[in-house]
Order: sequence, then structure tokens, then C-alpha cells
Amino acid sequence: MTAVVGADEVRSAPRAGAPSSYTVTDLGVVPPLGGLYVKGAMGSVTKRPRAGVVLPRVVYRVADVDTTGVAAHLADYQGVVGEPVSDVLPAGFLHVLTFPLATAVMVRPDFPLGLLGMVHLRNTARVFRPVGVGDRLEIRAWAEHARAHRRGVQVDLVAEAFAGGVPVYRGVSTYLAKGFSVRDGASTPSEWAGPDRAASEGALPGREVPDGAMPDRAADGAGRPASRAPWVPPLPTARWRLPRSIGPEYGAVSGDRNPIHMSALGAKAFGFPRAIAHGMYTAARALAEVGPARRGDAYEWTAEFFKPVLLPGSVDVAIRYASDAGAGAAPAVGPEGGFVYDAWRAGRTTRHLTGTVTPL
Amino acid sequence: MASSIPTTREAVIIGGNRIPFARAGKKYVRTSNQDMFTAALEGLVARFGLQGELLGEVVGGAVLKNSRDFNLIRESVLGSSLAPATPAYDLQQACGTGLEAAIAVTNKIKLGQIESAVAGGTDTISDAPIAVGDKLRRALLQANHARSTGDRIKALLPVLGHPKWLAPETPDTGEPRTGLSMGEHQAITTAKWGITREAQDEIALRSHQNLYRAWEEGFFDDLVTPFRGLSRDDNLRGDTSAEKLAKLKPVFGRGLTGDDGAPLPATMTAGNSTPLTDGASAVLFGSRDWAEERNLPVLAKFVDAETAGVDFVHGHEGLLMAPAAAVPRLLARHGLTLEDIDFFEIHEAFAATVLTTLAAWEDEDYCRDELGLPGAFGKVDRSRLNVNGSSLAAGHPFAATGGRIVATAAKLVHAKAAETGKPARALISVCAAGGLGVTALVESA
Amino acid sequence: MTDSYTRFANGGFKPLVKKLGLPQPAILRRHQAGSPLTVGPVLVVSDDASASDADAVTKVLTGWDIDVRRSPELAEREKFGAVVLVLSAVEHPEDVSGAALALGGTLRGLAGNGRVVTLSRAPETGDAPTLAAARAGVEGFVRSLGKELRGGSTANGVQLTGGAAVDSISVIATLRFFLSAKSAYVDGQILPVGPCDGPGEIDWDRPLAGRVAVVTGAARGIGAAIARTMARDGAKVVVVDVPPAGEALSAVANSVHGVALQLDVTAADAADKILAAAKPLGGLDILVHNAGITRDKLLANMKADRWDSVIAVNLASQLRINARLLEAGVEGLRIVSLASTSGIAGNKGQTNYAYSKAGVIGHTAATAPLVAATGGTANAVAPGFIETEMTARIPFATRSVARMLPSLAQGGEPVDIAEAICFLASDAAAGINGRTLRVCGQHMVGK
Repeated sequence: MTAVVGADEVRSAPRAGAPSSYTVTDLGVVPPLGGLYVKGAMGSVTKRPRAGVVLPRVVYRVADVDTTGVAAHLADYQGVVGEPVSDVLPAGFLHVLTFPLATAVMVRPDFPLGLLGMVHLRNTARVFRPVGVGDRLEIRAWAEHARAHRRGVQVDLVAEAFAGGVPVYRGVSTYLAKGFSVRDGASTPSEWAGPDRAASEGALPGREVPDGAMPDRAADGAGRPASRAPWVPPLPTARWRLPRSIGPEYGAVSGDRNPIHMSALGAKAFGFPRAIAHGMYTAARALAEVGPARRGDAYEWTAEFFKPVLLPGSVDVAIRYASDAGAGAAPAVGPEGGFVYDAWRAGRTTRHLTGTVTPL
Repeated sequence: MASSIPTTREAVIIGGNRIPFARAGKKYVRTSNQDMFTAALEGLVARFGLQGELLGEVVGGAVLKNSRDFNLIRESVLGSSLAPATPAYDLQQACGTGLEAAIAVTNKIKLGQIESAVAGGTDTISDAPIAVGDKLRRALLQANHARSTGDRIKALLPVLGHPKWLAPETPDTGEPRTGLSMGEHQAITTAKWGITREAQDEIALRSHQNLYRAWEEGFFDDLVTPFRGLSRDDNLRGDTSAEKLAKLKPVFGRGLTGDDGAPLPATMTAGNSTPLTDGASAVLFGSRDWAEERNLPVLAKFVDAETAGVDFVHGHEGLLMAPAAAVPRLLARHGLTLEDIDFFEIHEAFAATVLTTLAAWEDEDYCRDELGLPGAFGKVDRSRLNVNGSSLAAGHPFAATGGRIVATAAKLVHAKAAETGKPARALISVCAAGGLGVTALVESA
Repeated sequence: MTDSYTRFANGGFKPLVKKLGLPQPAILRRHQAGSPLTVGPVLVVSDDASASDADAVTKVLTGWDIDVRRSPELAEREKFGAVVLVLSAVEHPEDVSGAALALGGTLRGLAGNGRVVTLSRAPETGDAPTLAAARAGVEGFVRSLGKELRGGSTANGVQLTGGAAVDSISVIATLRFFLSAKSAYVDGQILPVGPCDGPGEIDWDRPLAGRVAVVTGAARGIGAAIARTMARDGAKVVVVDVPPAGEALSAVANSVHGVALQLDVTAADAADKILAAAKPLGGLDILVHNAGITRDKLLANMKADRWDSVIAVNLASQLRINARLLEAGVEGLRIVSLASTSGIAGNKGQTNYAYSKAGVIGHTAATAPLVAATGGTANAVAPGFIETEMTARIPFATRSVARMLPSLAQGGEPVDIAEAICFLASDAAAGINGRTLRVCGQHMVGK
């Protein structure tokens, strides 16, 4: 397959999961994140909050990503998040691989939301088949489903990977842009595949999303304010002691060197008292702790983020069988039915994240 | 059920020896695992006149080991009065090490592979290994493998930039997979089972009272040899009381939340949790013929053993609950119930560990769902429980505890059988890190 | 272990010490495997009436590959290793002078660490006054001679009782003990020896071979030395001490290929524990009551716990154990108990200790006939000042004076006690029963 070098855009028909109205733009290579960030930061200045968010109807595609060279990068990633050393790429690493392409979409001039200050609300990833070092991948990314959130607009960045034309990975990252709004305060169904997809991606499968757990957390979908009883942490199964260095370390393996993760100084500039852990690091660590043996070759991994983890910090964690966690629709009793994880500030009730790991 | 056990010859317990257990950082400071295990061996050799004896095997281990101790037990044998030709090997199963060593050697005796053996273990917190961090270790290894001075300097350069890499790593009782200390794990199990502070303190009080009484009665005169000026377990508080125990502040289980959102009371204190301890123990086993040829006492038979593991990582089960699963299987194999047991030697990692195990066996749902039993396994007669004290009072040098308990159990059943003229049985249960449980059945010979 | 003064007085300062008239302790020769029994030829002298006994003794000595002489002439530079004075048949005090003076004439020719041993008969009830005087006089002679000898030489007497022949087993064993380096710190002592049906053949190198011995208080000091010497002599040893002394005890056990028994001898079941420990080795043959404590205090300041604990450990425990062993029907038992010169001569601040040790001497005599019924014996050894951890705690000045008091002008070593005990525990000593042998370097005080 001939890679088209540079920013030349080759138009072709959309495939697979992107809305039919989207057109595909081929990029020759995955763009480097550093440049995208500069572009994103610059662009953020001009992208002022306004009503009537319309997403670019474009799918970015890199047709041939050769993963032969990622072995060392993968080993570093596995070391940081606690995955066992393996030639199989965990879902979190596939997220890292596809993240620049999604970011490229977000830094487009016609992408209406500013990159800076966007909040990662949720992440859902599915691995359909194991991806190994040396596999050649086609990856795609686009934005869809801009919809109302009580504090702004939330949007899904979707990334897909194919090997030999077969889908192997699909990740949906939901971000919040504060202050923006969609027209009429509703979602934009024309740019969104439909409600059945929302059920499996937007919300956590098989369990109720605890909307009101956090005072300032996004209530799902319609932006309902927090109203229910406070969230009650389960009994922990583990404790993570996260050192200050985990921010820069995950920054190095993920490419996400957002200043809020890298140093206290950088975090203060954005209003945090100390550096904060990458949400995706905490989710990736939970995924790692379930482990390849129990999640299987094909699995879904979800995460929903609440209050950030300040570094250094101790986090109480409960990683439980879905059947033990009282998740009503666990497909099976015991480890075969998948896992639910929760993380909160050690010894307190401040919730950091929750999620699931479910064999498919 | 009993027919499923292959017929082999008996392995008998002849006697045991340990050094007094010392609280960490006290009497045995500057004393290594090898020093302590050698001392335990020497006391055993002296007790049974085994100088120059060629034993079938000496097996034991330590949970916390320095890298130089790769052949700890063999080195100890070479430093002892046993025949230097006595083979040995190290074995490790966390706190189950000592009991697992007993299982290993008795199996060989039963199979006729060896005639005699010593099993035991040793652990020291006071001389624990301290390792360098992974990053420094990698740099040092890389420098070590480097071919030129330049490469060596290159490998070490990053160390200069990261003075924090020089910080040593000390071992702790944290579970590698969860980062929770054993105490925190037990606190979660304690909360799940609703075990009260009072019940735990009562277990601790009885442990001290029973151990103290046993010492005063001379029970340990032929089970312990003093070491480095210590002639009794120095954690033992013969004068402790419910009031004193009640005054201690909880150390584990703070910050847990109940289903109703209210904070759960922290109930585990330094008084009802086992302190970190240094010590070593050794037990002499043999075939009956071997013992009788030497006119050595035969205290008991080491009948059988069963181990179990639980998935504590995902909170489905408590870290220290594996013995609850192992014991019903062990007893079923011999057609026995809890009523058939004269002595329960349940290792007191924490008072709550004993109580959650007992509670689990009394719980119908738990026994049905988790243990696959038709109903509740049964109730343990508290008057038969740890009658001469256990780890809360004696202390718990991880790998040494199995040997302590086996020797105690053997002596107890021997005395009981001599007194009643009927066979007596002891059940040994040891929980271990990693969600492991090691249990054994000992019967008067 | 030789004390620092003894080393000083034998070093470069020897002439000065001599000039100043300071005590001149010699370095005592002690037993070493393979070394000769005596340091030189042995002269046998006797009164006329005892000539045939002297012949018999000569025959025995010759059988031990000793250069035995019957006349006092010596080659140049030659010195006697020992002189045996046979007075076994003397009937009149006037008949002794020839032999005694002949002995006197040889003393300048006696080597350092030499030996004078008398063989005489004990005065017996019903002896004619003349005979009694002739026999009793030997004791005063030996004790005085002991005080005259220099250079580590000693004088001791074998006192035949009950018509024992001079060449009967126990008599010659005692003679051999006094001649040997094993009696290095025994001086000025008369040991009564009776007839016995002892073993015909004696293995002098391993006199305790095949025997099972229990030694109490064996973790250190004299007890440990007894255990080691017993093992050297061929015994299988069970070493006993209180549980807190277990670490040292197990080290002793392992060094002698023995068995350690952690036991408080005052425990009610002590005897049964001892029997049980000896059983796997073949059953109890020898019991050494060595365990003892001191709790010194002037009687005016003595508290009950000090008095009672000393009596309990040093005396009552021995009585209880002996009684139980007799009750259990242990046959042929050889008991050796530790007495003390304090129990004989008394010692300020030791009323409790001296009571216990004098009591030991008493019960030993009383136990003798009880164990004799099954071929056993009960004897005691009374140590003088012995260099041990216990005596090392005595203040320096007191300790230094105590060392100088005996004729040998030094303290003894634990092995000196051990040698005496091993001798008394041997089958060859079967004719010695109910006796207390002092091992004190001839301490000035007391009998």
C-alpha cells in the first residue's frame, strides 16, 4: 500500500462506523502529537464558546500503520501502567496509537471546540481481535454526536483500527467543552449514528450510571443536576500509591504531555493545586490489573472520570467481578462475567473513576 | 472417603525446636536468617542427639531473604552439627512455608524416599533484605554487562540525574497485586463479616493467657531453646487484660465505608494483630522404624494436608480466607467433622482472621455458595482453640510459624492420648499472603 | 585458664618471686591423652611388714609400663615422678619411721608435678589402740606432707577399708588416679577404699565406655567440663540445665555428641524426665548432681527466698531425684554429688550454701548403703576455689586471696572436678561409696 506523504488529502467513501455523511481524508502518516498540541493551543484562542456547535464531517485515515517499530514503546507503556510484558497491544496502547489522529481532527480549524480546557468525561474501547507487534493497521478517527451537557457540549471522538480490513479496535472518547452549547440544547442526531449506539458506548453497559455522584460531574446526556444520595464507596480491593513522577512517565509513553499532568506549576496554571494523574493512566492501570488472562482476546474496557487524582496521592480501588459488584446484567457469575472497577481518594469518598472490563 | 487416600507408611513427628520469637528490632538485631535457623537446628540436634546424623533431608525457607541466602537451608545444615552430607533445599510459600515444608518432607517419608527429615523455617524483620529500586538496579546491571568503561559510565550517568533512584526499597507486608497491607486486607474481610473489636480483643487476650500459662507449666521446655539471651517469646504479655487491649488505637481498617454510607468502625489494633517478629523453628520427622530404631519419642503422626487459594485480588474473597476452603476438603477426605478434632491450631495472623474463618464455617450461605457444602460446615469448640496460645502472643516470624505449630500440636495430641487412652487429633490451619491457605491433620501416634 | 599471678610467678619474674618469699604456684600438669601416667620413675617404699603388699603394688605398676624402682638411687639428673609409700600392714607407730624417712630422703629428687601416694589401712572399730594409732597417723602425715611439697607435687593417701587387698580393683584404680595428672588439684586427701567385685579388665583410656551419664547444671563451668570429660571417657551424656540456659546447654550437648535436656531440677517430675531422657541412650548409669546456686548473704541479712532457693536447688532436688530413682528401681546407679569445701570448713556469708553442701555430704553417706544393694555407689566431690564464671564474679582481692590459700597456691580448673567425678563414676571405683573427695589443692581450712 502506498502511503501518501504529507498533508495531501485523498477523498474516498466513508467506511465502517463513521456516519454516512462523512468523507474520508487520508493522511500519509499519523501526525506527531507535539505539533498538534501547538496547533490546538493556538486554535483554542480563536474557538470562543458559542451556541450551535457543528462538527466537521470528516474521517481522518492512515491507511497503513506498521507496528513493527513499536516494540520498545510498547514495553515502556506496559512498564508504566503495569501490563505484563507482551507483544499484544492492550486497548490502552491502541488508544495511545490512535489518539494523535483523533487529536488531528480536533485541531482542525473547522472543529468548533477549543482543545485546551476540554475535559475527558468517558472512554469506551473495544478490542475485537488481538493486535500484535508487527500487525499493519489502518486507523481512522472522527468526531460525532455533539450533544448538550449541563456545563457545555460533549462530543465523541471515535477511533477505529483495522487489520487486513477486519475491525480490531474501536475507541470512543467523550470530551466536554465547557461553555459551548448545541443548537436548541439537544444532541445532533444528524451527525450521530443512533440511539442503539448510545446505549452501548455513551453509557456503561449493564449498569446504571450514577449521575449525581459528583456535584460538578457531568450528568449524562441531558445535563441533569446532581440530586441523588451521595456515592458510597465499596470495600476496596487495592490501594494505589501514585508518585508525582507518574504524570511525566505516562506523559512520555502516551504522548499526552498536557502541562496539568507534567508539573505542579503547569497544573496551577490551569487552576489545579497540584499536578493531576492522566485519567487514561488510571483506567489503563485498572485494565492491566484485570490482566490479559481474565479479559481475554476480545474485550470491552470502559472508564468514566470524576474528580482528578492529585499527585502524589493514594487511591483506594475496588476491582470486582461484575457479579459481585451488583451489576444486574453481568453475563456470568465470577471472573467470566467481567469486572467493574471503582477508584476513589484513599480513606475518603471522593470518587475518581469507575469503569468496566468485560470479555466480549 | 478415606479409601481415596493411597496407602503409604506413616510419617511421625518426633519433636521440635525453635528459638524464642523476638519482636522486630530487639533481641535479634544483627542476627541473620541463617544464624537463627542454624540455632534452631542446633537445638534440635542437641535435644535428640543427632550430632553427625545423616538425615534424609532438611527443608525450610524464609519469606524475606537476602540474595546471598539462595541456599539458606543448606548453608544452615553445613553450619550445624548434622552430617554435612545431609541434603537440603529451600522452599517458600509465604506464611505457609513452614507447614508446607512439613508436608514436603512427610510426603517423602510416606513414599519411602527418605527415612528422616527436618522441616522448618526462619524469618527476620530485623535483618530484612533491602533492595535498590528497579531503575537503579537496571542501571547497575547494564553497567555490569557493559564491555567498556565508557559504556559503563554511560549506563550509570542517569543515576546522577536521579538521586531518588538511590532510595532503598524495604520489604513490607503489602500484597504485590493490591498494594494493600495484610492488615488492610484483613480489615476489609473483618468489616465484611462484621467482626467486633471486643471479639478480637478476647481472642488476643486468650492467646496471651494461654501462651503464658503454657510457658509457666514448662510446656515449651522441650520445644524452645533460648537464643542470644532471650529465653521466652518477648511479645508475650502475661499481664495483659481486656482493659489494656481496649485502650489501643485501631491501626487497620480506617476509612472504610459501609453500605449505608456511614464510616465503618476500625477494629484492628496492634493488640489483636500479630507484631512483626524474628525467629526460627525446626521439626524432626521420621518413619516410625527410624524413630524406633533410635529409641526416639514418637509424638504424633503427620496424617495429611490440604492447601487452597482464593481470589482476593478482586475482593471476591478475603486475603486470608483460604484455610476456610482447605479444611473442609481435608476433613472430608478422612470422614471427619469439626467435632472430631481435639485441638484447633489456627494461626492468628490477626485475631479477626481466626474469627472470620470460624464465622465462615458457621455460615450456611457461605458454605453452600463458596465451599460447595450442603450447609454450614460447623462450629469450632472455642475451648479447643489455640489452647497453648498462638501467633498473637508468640509472634509470627513468617516461615517459622508452621514449625512452631506442628511441634505444639504434636505434643498436645500426644499428651491428650496418653491421658485419655484414646487417639487425639489436631487440625492446623495457616493462612498466607497471596490468598493461600495451608492446613494439616495431626494425630496421636 | 591458669590465673595471671600463676603465669607471672612462672615467667621471667620467677627468681624475684622466690626471693620475696611470695607464693610460688606451679603450672599444674593435667591429663592429656597419650601422655605418660607419671612424670618420671615411680619409687615404691614400705615398712617391713608391708613388703609383700609393696611387691604386689610393684607388679601392678609394672603392668602399666611404669619404670618402677624399689631403691631410692637415681641416675644423674633423674627425678622420681612419684613415690608410693606402702604402709598397709604396719602395726606399730614405731615401725613407720624407716619408710617415712626413706621417703623424706627422696623428696629433693621428686620432679615437679610429682606424686606421693600412701597405701594404708583405715582404723576400724575394734582395732587395738596401737594398731589404730599406726593407721590413723598416716592421715596427719599425708596432710602435712602435702603442705611441704612444692612445684605442683601432691601427697594423697589410699585408705583401705573392710579388708580390701592392695591390688584389688578399686585400690589400684584410686592409686592410679592419685598418681596421674587427673588428680592435679587433689592434694592432702585420704580416700577410703573398700573391697569390690569390680570388673576384671579395665579400659583405662575409656573407663566410662557404654555408660549413660546425666549431668545436671551442665550448661557451663564445672558441669560442662564434667560432660566433656565424661564423653572423653566414653560415656553417652545427657546434659541438663534450666531452660533459660538452653542455648549454652545445646552447644555443650552438641560438642559431646550428647543430648540436651532443659529441666529445672527442682521440678517435681525431674527424676522421671531424667530417666526418660536417658532411656533412648540405653538407660541411666551415672547421675552427677552438679546443679547448684549461691545466694550469699550474712545470716543477719538473709531473706527467706535466698535461703530457700539454695536449699531447694542444691539439696532438696538431689534428695527428691535420688528417692525417685531408687523407687523406680534403677540398678547399679553411680551417683556423684557436688559438695563444697564451704560445706566442710564453712564460709562467711554462706550459711545457706554451706548448709546445703554439708547436707550433700550427709545424704551421700546415707544414700551409699541404699544404692549399694544393687551395686551402685553414691559419692561426693567437694571443690575448693575453682576458676569459673561463677567465681570470676567474686571481687578481685577476695578472689586473689582465695587462690593463694591452698597448698597448691592457685585455684583449680573445672576439669579437675570433672576428673575426680569421672573417676568416682567409673566401675573401677566401685569400692568407694559414701565418700566425699575434696578437690581443693589442699585448701588450708577444714579437714
